[in-house]
Amino acid sequence: MTAEAKPDPLIHPITRLSICGLLAAGADWIEFAALRDAAGISDSVLSKQSRVLEDAGYVEVRKGAIGRRPRTWFRLTPEGRQAVQGHLAWLAQLEQAVSASRADAQLAKPLPP
Amino acid sequence: MRDVSSDPEALGLELLREQRGRLADRMRPPWWYLPGVAIVWALYFAGPFTSRSFPSPTSASTWAIVVPIFAVCCLLQWGMTRATGIKAGPRPLRILRDGLFYFRPSRPAGIAIFLVSVAGLGIEGSLIRHGLLAAAIVVAALAVAAEVTAQMSVLRAIRQYIRGGGAAA
Repeated sequence: MTAEAKPDPLIHPITRLSICGLLAAGADWIEFAALRDAAGISDSVLSKQSRVLEDAGYVEVRKGAIGRRPRTWFRLTPEGRQAVQGHLAWLAQLEQAVSASRADAQLAKPLPP
Repeated sequence: MRDVSSDPEALGLELLREQRGRLADRMRPPWWYLPGVAIVWALYFAGPFTSRSFPSPTSASTWAIVVPIFAVCCLLQWGMTRATGIKAGPRPLRILRDGLFYFRPSRPAGIAIFLVSVAGLGIEGSLIRHGLLAAAIVVAALAVAAEVTAQMSVLRAIRQYIRGGGAAA
């Protein structure tokens, strides 16, 4: 599945980009602690941002327990996956364009005397 | 690493690459995982021996092998998911959506696992029929070692896939 390269304002903030990018990386479900540690964010930030993504229909949340310890699992919904792929493709294009323009600027610089 | 200090988009992507690397590193199996895989394959390659010793090959011997294999596989998968916090095992719905080898780099190892399982069982059966029990045991041991090695390659490939960003890369 190839998504159209377009920006998604909901995913653009760096924390949500991290969460979505990690969820899109290939695993089916990722547990709260694993996602928090990989993204390098706090519990409260992950809770808050995942709620935003869940409300937008991008992330599915499943709550369970192992023994007496509650566990929360996340995964992208198909719409979320599509949006993330489109946003990452857009970012990659932007990154390429910035690199190309920087290289052009380097070439256009006059040589030092 | 590239200089990303003046480019916020590149900074975001670079950070995401680092985070994927951290996530992939969590996929390292616990110490008991590979011995568990070896037990599964040892049970599988013990099949031809049990069907030879059990009087009714189609009923008792088959179930005596299939049920423990299934139980150990479920236990391994559950334990791995619990230890790593990542569910990335074989999932029927995902196989239907993305194909059998949905972690693309794991395809060669997956094919190797399948080929060794079929060929090993065939060779073993043939040796047992010809009364070469010792040779059949050696073949079974080699096949178990090959399957464990291939399983390690599958895990390595999954880590590589996650590090690369999967389908979203």
